[in-house]
Amino acid sequence: MTLSQGRAIFIWGTVISAVIFLGLTYDSISKMPKRTHAEELSDAVADGKWTWQRHNCNDCHTILGIGGYYAPDLTKVMSQRDPEWAKQFLKDPHKVWPAKRRMPNLHLKDAEIENLVAFLTWVNGIDTNGWPPKPMAVAAAGSAALPGESVFRAQGCSACHKLNGVGGDIGPDLTHVGSTRPPDWIKQQLENPRSHFPNSPMPSFAKLSPKDMKDLVDFLSSLK
Amino acid sequence: MKYETQKIAYQYFVAATLLFGLQVIFGLLTGAKYVWDYDPLMNIIPFNTSRAIHINLLVVWLLIGFMGGTYYLVPEESETDIYSPRLAVFQLYLFVAIGVAAIIGYLVGWSWGMPFLEQPTVLKFGIVIVALIFLFNIFMTMMKTKKWTVIQGVLLGGLVMLALLFLFGIFFVRNLSTQYYWWWWVIHLWVEGAWELVAGSIIAFILLKLTGVDRELVEKWLYVEVGLVLFTGIAGTGHHYYWIGTPGYWLWVGGIFSALEPVPILFMVFDTLRDVREKKIEIEDKIPLYWAVGSAVMHFLGAGVWGFAHTLPQINKWTHGTQVTASHGHFAFFGAYVMINLTMIYFAVPRITGVVRKGHGRSLVALRLMVFSIFFMVLALGIAGVVQAYLQRVLGMDYLTTQDYMKLWYAVMWVSGWGVVAGVFTYIFDFFSMGRPSKVTA
Repeated sequence: MTLSQGRAIFIWGTVISAVIFLGLTYDSISKMPKRTHAEELSDAVADGKWTWQRHNCNDCHTILGIGGYYAPDLTKVMSQRDPEWAKQFLKDPHKVWPAKRRMPNLHLKDAEIENLVAFLTWVNGIDTNGWPPKPMAVAAAGSAALPGESVFRAQGCSACHKLNGVGGDIGPDLTHVGSTRPPDWIKQQLENPRSHFPNSPMPSFAKLSPKDMKDLVDFLSSLK
Repeated sequence: MKYETQKIAYQYFVAATLLFGLQVIFGLLTGAKYVWDYDPLMNIIPFNTSRAIHINLLVVWLLIGFMGGTYYLVPEESETDIYSPRLAVFQLYLFVAIGVAAIIGYLVGWSWGMPFLEQPTVLKFGIVIVALIFLFNIFMTMMKTKKWTVIQGVLLGGLVMLALLFLFGIFFVRNLSTQYYWWWWVIHLWVEGAWELVAGSIIAFILLKLTGVDRELVEKWLYVEVGLVLFTGIAGTGHHYYWIGTPGYWLWVGGIFSALEPVPILFMVFDTLRDVREKKIEIEDKIPLYWAVGSAVMHFLGAGVWGFAHTLPQINKWTHGTQVTASHGHFAFFGAYVMINLTMIYFAVPRITGVVRKGHGRSLVALRLMVFSIFFMVLALGIAGVVQAYLQRVLGMDYLTTQDYMKLWYAVMWVSGWGVVAGVFTYIFDFFSMGRPSKVTA
């Protein structure tokens, strides 16, 4: 090989790759507004993004799978948590989710919290080509899972309660709760925890819609 | 050393070396937060701040090292002194001042909040000014004699590309997906584009001087090497566009081009070894040679093999966003850029200070300590990542619960981190034992 052949490889290699890349970039940028439903990208969402950046959230959390690996990925978090829960959490993280690895209290203003939740809700709708993948174990279980299980997840119950060995240990293990407590008792406990245990730190879930409440009670009662 | 102004490089190497030490200390601090749940520093230096400082210091010291390397290399290639030594020194002080301001800023919560590009916008404009002064000074030096060697051309091309791409990381974009689209133009196209050009020309220069092989041979293969790097690397950016709100064809384009990325890196290994085999002069100065060969091998393992292992979309779907990425990041940066910088420093500093070294004991101790420790560290992080991918993505376990099962591997990572720190401080001690230049030109 001669020097000029080497130079030709350099020039053509660079040009071909750059042309492909720039062409697809042009196409991607024109398609991304639709894939990210940019029409719903309100000022609140943009302000929420700035709050997210200003507090450097991305160096602990990943989002779209990018960032620090120290805290949960937040791409699809709003499919897992209800907005009210998220707001309470952002107000005082450790009080709502007493995990061993803590998130510092950022002392956010109410408006900032509203915007952050709007931002995360918008991110939740981005078409990410199916990422993160649905866990294989859950996919294998198919639709047999009870609807109450998603209420259980959305309300963050596992922050305090264990289920099949997974979850916190502030509250009792719920793996077999259905065999020791009747459905009415469970419903009463969810609506007014202190009616059973005057000193219980558990919050009331009376705010749940009648359907969610019924689903959750059915799910817990099924744990035998 | 042939030109008085090459001594400017020494000051750059001092700054790079000190910042390297600080970087690994912040690495230990960041790693400790994984090992122990209770973080006594949570409200003073929380994880995000500590990580930002760890990574920013890495980028800054590597860039300062590259700049020092450039100030050493260009006079010899252009056969003339640096256009303005004053400007070169001013540029270093300005860069270090901006770096210090950024770190203090992070500690008091002043951040722009995109990973690696956390520097507040006003400081980013400062960095642009630093880059412009640097490019001006280098370009004007080259224009004095207009000796357009391939080594110089590739180096200048890499530096211009580096500066231009930084512009894509300065502005706030409302759409997170689009923001990340452009963010990767800085992050990916730096490390798998511009930086490879700079590092490639530096290593070509060193091998040329060490082995005495024909310039034409070195320059011919440098062309082929950077041609392959850019061919695979530019469209290979697509492996970052799988899951961020971008069209599905990136799964194909990113997968195919990035699967080819190990090719130029393997090529570099053979290139380095061939130059050594075909040497025309006896290589007396073995230290930079050890680092150069070590870098070629570690670059291939860290960037090539570790990168390839999770670059295909079928695999990346499961590993994306786990510690597998962190493992690859540590391995690739160490092999490709840390070791290249140390190669340059070990080549240039004795030639600047005129010190005659007896043996190479301490430098080899530093090399072995760093290489072995990094290897264990990335192995531990890699296993942690696989455990995480299995528990979280396969079993559907909650993120925080998975962390308990990864503790053992975090502990192995952290202990290995102490080995890295020991290696780095051995190097720092060795660096300052190489003497000082007779009189630093300013």
